[in-house]
Amino acid sequence: MKAHALYGAAGRLALGLIVPLALFALWDHQARNGGANAFAFVSAAQVGRALRELLHSGDLALAYGSSLKNAFGGLFWGSLAGLLTGAAMALVRPVDWALTPIYHSFRQVPLLGWLPLIGLWFGSGDLSKLIVIGLSAFYPAVLYTYEGLKGVEARMLEVGQLYRLTAWQTFWTIRWPSALPSIFTGLLQSLAFAWIATIGVELLFPSGFGLGTVMQHGQLQARLDIVVVCIVVVGLTGFLINLLVSRLSRHALRWRAVRS
Amino acid sequence: MSGGTPSAKTVVTMASPLCVLLLWHGLTAARVFPPEVLVSPQAVLAAFDSLIRTGELARHLGESLQRLLWGFGIGSGSGLLFGLAMALSVTFSRLFDPLFQALRQVPVLAFIPLLILVFGIDEVFKIVIIAKAAFFPTALSTLDGVRGVPKAWFEVARIYRTPLPALVWRVLIPATVPAVLSGVRLSLTRAWLVLVAAELIVADSGIGQMMEMGRQMFRLDVVMVGVIVAGVIGFALDRGFVLLQARMQRWRPPATGAAA
Repeated sequence: MKAHALYGAAGRLALGLIVPLALFALWDHQARNGGANAFAFVSAAQVGRALRELLHSGDLALAYGSSLKNAFGGLFWGSLAGLLTGAAMALVRPVDWALTPIYHSFRQVPLLGWLPLIGLWFGSGDLSKLIVIGLSAFYPAVLYTYEGLKGVEARMLEVGQLYRLTAWQTFWTIRWPSALPSIFTGLLQSLAFAWIATIGVELLFPSGFGLGTVMQHGQLQARLDIVVVCIVVVGLTGFLINLLVSRLSRHALRWRAVRS
Repeated sequence: MSGGTPSAKTVVTMASPLCVLLLWHGLTAARVFPPEVLVSPQAVLAAFDSLIRTGELARHLGESLQRLLWGFGIGSGSGLLFGLAMALSVTFSRLFDPLFQALRQVPVLAFIPLLILVFGIDEVFKIVIIAKAAFFPTALSTLDGVRGVPKAWFEVARIYRTPLPALVWRVLIPATVPAVLSGVRLSLTRAWLVLVAAELIVADSGIGQMMEMGRQMFRLDVVMVGVIVAGVIGFALDRGFVLLQARMQRWRPPATGAAA
């Protein structure tokens, strides 16, 4: 039984590697033997060299740091504003009525569609980037905070009434804890969106210095190797972010009774 | 359920967008900001009117929507097939799962420079990037949806010696339609978002190009028309899809519609 499982795991790993390795070999072959559009392919050695070059000159670290700074700055302000807005909408009914139509109509505009307008108003510097990234984090934060605070089970509130809790106590001991899982889900989404928005904004506003900017320059100079290095870094970061937040939320919510 | 009087709610809900409009009008009428920074609602209407009369808006919109149709159709269709194959064949899923999971981590926008280098800035590039954006949500939800079908149903089908077409048509499709459709809906939203972004970056035609040109020529009115049109189209696409979804699920008895 155990041997079989081990064999299964190894076999699965081997099977999973076939397709990526085949693609990789094809790609590398195209790059070195000059197929129809060889300029569009770079060999693995070139990508490795580009990685070394970027690491050595410190460009990658600098760009990465700057992208992370943008992403987390936007995430911080966006999700803070979203948390407050969502809470206000969930707790004060007139605010809910007034903001719901505005929130939903603003949300219809594709995020990067705001870029030309924000670019005209705030220039193409860091402030514009912060606003768009913040906006991307804002939407999920509002939605999940709102739903979390609204979705409190009625019987819990009834218990609170029984104990004659004040409005503040009700919020702090009943509504807030039961909204936390939803708020964490929102934060996870905000984080993922903020990272995507960061790359998009940096591609479209090539001022400053971020991974998106480096990619954009790589594209303009037809340096596919640099572009590939950046894509890998962006993808790995996205993966790590997701992993980190899901671990964190599991840790923070470990007190909660597990529901399937 | 609704605590406050419905009339108060209606009044506030209707009044708040009107207040925003009035505020906008007031700010421009009082010339708080110079007209290059904030154009009046009338100017935006006038720009909208002239864009319609010259046929410019229709041309841009037509090109964007055509792109969307192709990219979304290809991406979502292949995502459906891919997800189905992943769910039904263990070997297929072991072959492709690692690659699928790795590519899923990279934000679509990060692929833009790579795809521009490989495909140039022609129509193919835009359709590929939209297809890529539409592929993953549909593939994922199809995979989850089909895997979520209870094993017992397959066993019953095997006992009755149900042929494969009937298995797909009578068991698989009805059981998975809700999950798949929600993935397709997400695909459509993503496709529209990425379309606008791609047109902003490679500005040669379409609604994104209209906005980007407006930004470069400081035509704030054109940019705002673009933002509003992009929002309205995004909203209409999503709404239209939800209506379609409701029609396609009409046959479902409400009692089992837990995942609606």
